[in-house]
Amino acid sequence: MIKLAVYGKGGIGKSTTVSNLSAAYADRGYRVMQIGCDPKADSTISLHGCDHMTTVLDLVRSRKDDFTLDEMVKIGCKGVVCVEAGGPTPGLGCAGRGIIAALEKLKEKGAYDVYKPDIVLYDVLGDVVCGGFSMPMRTGYADKVFIITSGENMALHAAANIAMAVENFRDRGYAQLGGIILNRRDVKREDEKVAELSEDIHSSVIGSLSRSSTVQDAEELGKTVIEAFPDSDMAKEYRMLAAAVYKAACGKEW
Amino acid sequence: MLKRINDKEDLTDTAVRLGDASFPAPFPSGLEYGSPARGAWNIVHTAMLVPQGHQIYVCAAGCLRGVVLTAAEMHAEDRFSCISIRENNVLDGDMETLIIDGIEDILSRLPVRPPAILVYTSCIHHFIGCDLSLVYAKLRERFPDIDFAECYMNPIMRKSGLTPDELTRRSVYTLLHPADPDSHSVNIIGNDLATDETSDLVRLTHSAGFRLHDITLCRTYAEFQNMAASFLNITTQPAARAAASALEDRLGQKQLYVPLCYGYDEIDENTRRLAEALIVPCPDPSPARASCEKALAAALAVIGTTPVAIDYTATPRPLGLARLLLEHGFHVERIYLDAFNGEEKKDFCFLQEQFPDIKLYATIRPKMRFVNRHAGEKLLAVGQKAAYFTGTNYFVNIIEGGGMYGYDGICRMAGLMTEAFLAEKDARSLIQIKGWGCGCCL
Repeated sequence: MIKLAVYGKGGIGKSTTVSNLSAAYADRGYRVMQIGCDPKADSTISLHGCDHMTTVLDLVRSRKDDFTLDEMVKIGCKGVVCVEAGGPTPGLGCAGRGIIAALEKLKEKGAYDVYKPDIVLYDVLGDVVCGGFSMPMRTGYADKVFIITSGENMALHAAANIAMAVENFRDRGYAQLGGIILNRRDVKREDEKVAELSEDIHSSVIGSLSRSSTVQDAEELGKTVIEAFPDSDMAKEYRMLAAAVYKAACGKEW
Repeated sequence: MLKRINDKEDLTDTAVRLGDASFPAPFPSGLEYGSPARGAWNIVHTAMLVPQGHQIYVCAAGCLRGVVLTAAEMHAEDRFSCISIRENNVLDGDMETLIIDGIEDILSRLPVRPPAILVYTSCIHHFIGCDLSLVYAKLRERFPDIDFAECYMNPIMRKSGLTPDELTRRSVYTLLHPADPDSHSVNIIGNDLATDETSDLVRLTHSAGFRLHDITLCRTYAEFQNMAASFLNITTQPAARAAASALEDRLGQKQLYVPLCYGYDEIDENTRRLAEALIVPCPDPSPARASCEKALAAALAVIGTTPVAIDYTATPRPLGLARLLLEHGFHVERIYLDAFNGEEKKDFCFLQEQFPDIKLYATIRPKMRFVNRHAGEKLLAVGQKAAYFTGTNYFVNIIEGGGMYGYDGICRMAGLMTEAFLAEKDARSLIQIKGWGCGCCL
């Protein structure tokens, strides 16, 4: 089982990218589980197409422990097992604690043993602002962390921060940095700036995605690009990225 | 200065008629009160059962007060240490390091290196997602000669999942190392008090030639480790079941839950299951039943119609005990409990139908702080809380069943009730002792 965590600044395109990676892997015949670790609970929306998905924390709050694993997941397109950790009421509660509770509950209910995914993708909110957001990096969760960034300064700062968290945890045996994914916003010196960041954090850019209206078109349809426009150039880019991430994660061709 | 904000406490619904009570929660949940009847064991007492073990609590100083006082009252300060958490530990995110380095520091100061350390982490570790797996992996790597038990002092989880009591009972036995199974040894696990030598359970086990291990009787850590070889873990307390399940999963020891109870049919069924597990003939219950009848009749002849009150700290089956006594002519007037034991549904239904006027009192509702604690007439209490809330000095001073079990346990209970009825005790001084019957408190 390959377990990957994808981090990056809010709004940088993590959920869109991760969902397309999930769809690409599933297309390739892998059993895939995507776990959204964002209180907004919208990571997997383009995979299952529902406006609202019951989150793990919804279940914990309303039913304590009286629910089954089946109720925690939704099967999305191409059989991707979708999970949303969920979070507290906006403005209240602790989102990090929510992620901890959700991931522990998934493990406790045997999600990995029952669904036996070949690939697990954790889509994690923004910066690593507290212990809860580092949870997917821990032993037993992701093996590799990938950071999505554009050439925008704020995105680069967030990426550097995430890389620092990974570095801080190196002696703990947590997940290692797998590489940088450039999601282009077509800003000036974009490639150069992201390459500089990669060098600073002793990593490399393993793939890049073009800024394309196809992504928005697919989003309008409530689908991934892989599903909605499988023959598009953008779908090809996502597949190439999926292959690169796979190789960076386990050293093998997909 | 504290000021009373309400002159009169409304005490109209302090008691609930059993006939009107809902199962399993007869009282609303809310603010809680702790009475001065403190005989029930807490996590410190239970963990002290590990011979030569050392407990370390990692928590904010304010929350350590209770466990520190317990250890001090037990005169067991030499087996107890704390690591105090400060705000900077949360801000700096060095909680894992704090635990590991703190334990190393404590070990360097202890005159004798303990074979086992029970580490109690607390709510804050839960909130911030402290990586406890990493902490224990590092501790085991750094101190390979010491066994570490993962324990929890986590009040926020008190009403979800396993209780702190159940968790501690389970944690204690995680210290057992895998061992070659011994088909001639069995354990009683998860109890705080030794089961009587004369009890049905112990007698049957011994008479069948089995060695019986019990943590309450172990004097050294090596002796405790012998429990790992037993092929069977017997539990009699509901709070011990999680420990038995964990051992079955980890060491492959079979488990047998034969609960402490007072119904003759259930006692017979327990004995049958025990005999089956030990592969020995099941004894004829008739003589033991006859002895019980005789003992209860003798007790009734002395106690007569004196009102009886029972509380849940005296036995995990207060309804079962009430039923037994009522069916034998005793006048059980009130029961003190905060929630029903799920195993007592049948007894609850029976009592609700046959004795609906029995009064149920909570022990933790704030109103109990203001109730009149003097019953007015002579009353016999079974348990410290029942004694406290009725103001009686005539009480059976036991917790968790007092080590009594089976038909022998009923005979002994009848004897203790008679004794308690005839000889006044000093309730005030007795019930203040934390962890009644805990060896270290003597």
